[in-house]
Amino acid sequence: MLDFVLNLLIFFIITAVFVKESGMELNRPSGAADQVAEGGGSIPILVLEDGGVIVDGRPTDLRAVQANINRLHAVNPNKGVLVIADQDAQTGVVAAVVDQVRLGGIYNITFSTSS
Amino acid sequence: MRAPHHTNESDSHGIDLAPMLDFVLNLLIFFIITTSFVKESGIVVARPEADTAEHKESGNILISIRENGDVWMDRRQVDLREVRGIIERMHVERPEDSVVVIADKASKAGVVAQVMDEVRVGGIKDVALGATSTASE
Repeated sequence: MLDFVLNLLIFFIITAVFVKESGMELNRPSGAADQVAEGGGSIPILVLEDGGVIVDGRPTDLRAVQANINRLHAVNPNKGVLVIADQDAQTGVVAAVVDQVRLGGIYNITFSTSS
Repeated sequence: MRAPHHTNESDSHGIDLAPMLDFVLNLLIFFIITTSFVKESGIVVARPEADTAEHKESGNILISIRENGDVWMDRRQVDLREVRGIIERMHVERPEDSVVVIADKASKAGVVAQVMDEVRVGGIKDVALGATSTASE
């Protein structure tokens, strides 16, 4: 029995090492049409090629995204966020923006790119 | 435990094989399971960091995107147009699978979006952007 328990232990240690995939849920707009028709609308965040971030029409520092989202989330809790990244924007910046939005309390994030 | 009257080492009846066999069998089962569950992409990229990244138990198809736009999945480099076919096949094999797109920090958002689209078209709607969790646990 001790043998078996030890085996089980080893098994769980190994699986814990193996299964470590971490990530952030992202939606994709399913089509150009229903992107707009989503209930409650969404807060647009633009990520520019040079790493600039525009939240709801205003250029914002990456560190201020969370505060902005906090405020907008308080105003209308039903709104999701639409992250529109430039084709050539860096994924690192996009991930940072998504992270900030999640920290700001909105988990319904749609990821889209502008051509 | 050796019985007290056994004073000589050579008196023992040899190694008991049963526990070892047990162990080896377990190991075998373990490797079979892991190989069929996690589909590694084959390369390591500099992933973005995020405070809110959560561990996904079900994220087991990994697609890596390199800095220069190369797409890696299933331990080999694939063309962007191949992604859909591979995902379709994997989706048929195990419909509950989900995808984690691991993009290099410096990769282009356009490529990431295209890959995610291909995955969606391939039938898997559960797509996450891979990130390293920086939150203190």
